[in-house]
Amino acid sequence: MNSVAPPLSSVVVFHEVSKWYGNVIGVNKLSLRIPPGVTGLLGPNGAGKSTLLQLATGQLRPSQGTVSVLDQRVWANPGLNRFIGLCPEQDAFYEWMSGWDFIFTCASLAGMKRPQAREAAAKAIESVGMTRHMNRAIGGYSKGMRQRTKMAQALVHDPQVVFLDEPLTGTDPVARRDLMEIIQRMGAAGKSVVVSSHVLHEVESLTPNVVLLNHGRLVAEGNVREIRDLIDKHPHRIVLVCREYRKLAAKLVAWDDVEGIEILPQRNGILVETRAPEVFYSRLPAISNEAETEIQEVYSDDDSLEAVFKYLVSR
Amino acid sequence: MRSLWALYKLSIRQQMHGKRWLVMCLLFLLPAGLAMLVRSNANGARPLEIEFVFAFMFIPQGLLPLAALVYAPGMIQDEQEEQTITYLLIRPISKAALYIVKLLATLTVVIFLTCVFTGVMYTVIYYNFADPDVPHPAVRCLQAAAINSLGVTAYCCLFGLMSLLTRRTLIVGVIYAAFFEGLLANLPLSVRLITVIYYTRIIAYRTMSFVVLRSWGESNIAADAWQLDIARDPKLLEHPQVGTCILVLTLASLVLAVLGAVICAKREFHVKTPEK
Amino acid sequence: MPIFDQGYQHWNGQTSGHAWRWFTIARQGVRSALKGRLMRIALLAAWSPAIALAAMLCVWGLLERGSTVIASIRPMLEFLYPQLIADPKHFRVVVWTLSYDYFTIVEMQISMILILLVGPNLISQDLRFNALPLYLSRPMRRIDYFLGKLGVIVGFLAMIVVLPATAAWVLGLLFSLDISLIHDTFRLLVGSIAWGLAVSVSAGLLVLAMSSLTRNSRYVALIWLGLWFISWVTSTAMTDINRNRQRNRIRTDQFRAYQEENSTVAPKTPDEMRQEIRRRQNVRQQGYLHMQQLQSDVWEATKTDWRPMISYTTNLTRLEQQFLGTQPAWETVASFLPPEQQGAYLMRMSGPQYPWIWSAELLAGLSVVSIGVLQLRIRSLDRLR
Repeated sequence: MNSVAPPLSSVVVFHEVSKWYGNVIGVNKLSLRIPPGVTGLLGPNGAGKSTLLQLATGQLRPSQGTVSVLDQRVWANPGLNRFIGLCPEQDAFYEWMSGWDFIFTCASLAGMKRPQAREAAAKAIESVGMTRHMNRAIGGYSKGMRQRTKMAQALVHDPQVVFLDEPLTGTDPVARRDLMEIIQRMGAAGKSVVVSSHVLHEVESLTPNVVLLNHGRLVAEGNVREIRDLIDKHPHRIVLVCREYRKLAAKLVAWDDVEGIEILPQRNGILVETRAPEVFYSRLPAISNEAETEIQEVYSDDDSLEAVFKYLVSR
Repeated sequence: MRSLWALYKLSIRQQMHGKRWLVMCLLFLLPAGLAMLVRSNANGARPLEIEFVFAFMFIPQGLLPLAALVYAPGMIQDEQEEQTITYLLIRPISKAALYIVKLLATLTVVIFLTCVFTGVMYTVIYYNFADPDVPHPAVRCLQAAAINSLGVTAYCCLFGLMSLLTRRTLIVGVIYAAFFEGLLANLPLSVRLITVIYYTRIIAYRTMSFVVLRSWGESNIAADAWQLDIARDPKLLEHPQVGTCILVLTLASLVLAVLGAVICAKREFHVKTPEK
Repeated sequence: MPIFDQGYQHWNGQTSGHAWRWFTIARQGVRSALKGRLMRIALLAAWSPAIALAAMLCVWGLLERGSTVIASIRPMLEFLYPQLIADPKHFRVVVWTLSYDYFTIVEMQISMILILLVGPNLISQDLRFNALPLYLSRPMRRIDYFLGKLGVIVGFLAMIVVLPATAAWVLGLLFSLDISLIHDTFRLLVGSIAWGLAVSVSAGLLVLAMSSLTRNSRYVALIWLGLWFISWVTSTAMTDINRNRQRNRIRTDQFRAYQEENSTVAPKTPDEMRQEIRRRQNVRQQGYLHMQQLQSDVWEATKTDWRPMISYTTNLTRLEQQFLGTQPAWETVASFLPPEQQGAYLMRMSGPQYPWIWSAELLAGLSVVSIGVLQLRIRSLDRLR
């Protein structure tokens, strides 16, 4: 009887990892478990995202702690690279090669036999939409084509875990949309994908699971909404649109859970700050039913990754 | 093994594409061109003398260290500078194997250049120009190619290791070539035992004849040029035998290659992150 | 107004003209090159021949004055010919010329190393990191860019050749305290400065052209090394072959003369013996004259021997010989030797003898080719890819 190994709860595990470059600390005592699926890796410049990815792919050795991917130590374990794919951030290729040549070479370097490598290269190139341009030299590719080619080399050997370092940088909106679709398809196909990016709203549309870094430290990890709820330092900001917004404001200012109200004449509404959003929301229908304070629109001004990012990084 | 073979092919292609390859071919053609010039100009210059100056002075002292400096330090450094080393590090290939395979590819290319253009040069020197002191030029050509290949192998292993230890490989390599191989090797002192060119010269001297018959008697052009005191020690008993020289050069190359592989295995290659 | 704009403020003052724009690039290039520790060490090492030159000229000045200060170091001067030390003022020009000769020869090799350290990065790095638009999008012309980059090389070579040569000359004058020294040695000062500038311009243009050919500064360094080293090895090889041929010809003739001298049967009678002695004397005399003629032919042949010109640095040396006027100085020193040794001494010490104008033309030609390469490789902004 064949026994199937239980699915891993964490694909990438950092345990008390520190990495310093001389006196500069890149990653500072970081413990992190990245689950299967698509995970966003966020942080300002110098947060340690590149360091983290290079530690996870075995290019750097941790100064302290351990890094493991798929339950195996990464450093000095080249065999593990069969199951890992990396789309690096730097725009570097063997410019004299054609796209096909490059992907085929990467497949061969991954240990595939020649017919296997051909097939895998063709499949990878097609999956990124580069079949039409695959015989041209990479030196003549546009930025979007180069990003797709990089993505293809990360996928050609069908890895289980894929690390994408700023895959959307410098791409036009069409290429960006296509690349995001590819990432979503990867996630849907059962691969674990870690996407490092500055483009917050795009990461948000890819995945709700994020890891936030700042100054080499782990600031937050998990679902964006859950993180937001845990940030009790900053009250939630909710915008209410109402024709008689001043009268609505007069009523709300008496509520205990309302900490502040800002009049927004240009939006015909008010901005309410509250530390108990659930209580606030539960009382809103009643006040909306009252005369003169019928609420036309309700939305949260800061229930987004950008807001979470700003709160956590700027403190 | 398939990965290593793919890496080997990739490295050969990298070495042989572009202007660098063309420049190296032209450089290696230089001795043949000069030999042709000398043949057409210098009446009375014997083929053996022309062969000695180019095959055993010009090529080993000038061309081979330069060729090794062009190719060997770039094995890893060029990949790092171009930031393409990432694509190699994320494949299932250990860093030690990466270094050794790249070194093997470099040696293949450099030895190929050495052998082919040594053959061209010998053809230019001896074509239609027989020398009674040289009955079998083809055999001498093979011997010269083999000796120079051994020498360039040692240089490549040395400069490859240097490139892992310092970024200024070119300066260090030039100082080494000029001071050790150029100056110390020509002194009749035991310090020349640490130079590559000493061993290649001894192998050449013991396996090939450099005696030219003149009207006043025999003249050993190699002994004069290489400071070998054959008047006092005609059989060169104070110098190592051929087998010893080959062993020393081969062992030295192996040790340098293994050392390079070990250092490469332990090293981190910083592409986006700071070196220190 | 109580509140002031903290943003960008446009410069309304006067801007400098084009005349000095190159200086900004040159100054920046020199500063950034000096940041490297290796460069600073190389510069320090480059000044040691200058210190030796200055020391030699100062010592000679004290010798001329008959100063007791150098009595203790007089034994150290025994490497010089006693005739020189016996009348230092008479041989002032000779000693100064040869001191400058040695100084410039050593400094030339050091200059090649310095250019190897500084030159390759000058344009290749700008190509690699696409910095050319940053330069050419300013109100700066290509000529300003070229002159600025050339100014980096000129700056460094001025630091190690021109400045030390001038400083040594002034020190020598001060230690000699003889105003006639200015008249006697001014040519050396002007010659060394002119030579320094010639090397700077020639080598500077060459290395800039090489640097513009590739984005990888390592290959530029290797091309420079090839030019310097391989051309020298090639020239040496070709010259050696030629010289061996001449030497072999001399030795063959010597051997033939020896054979002729000793070829006859042993004489039996006194008359035959006297005749044999006369015959041998004649053969020896003729042999001697023949050798003299041969050596003279060899010496004459060096005056049209083009082989040394293959070496780039030999061409610079030939210019230096002409600018400093070293030939008369070497001939003076050679006159101290026995007549039969003078020819060989001159051949060994006085350097290449072919017309200096050949080297000047070759270097000028290389400079023109370099300028052509730079024109082609560094395009103006509208033609950049």
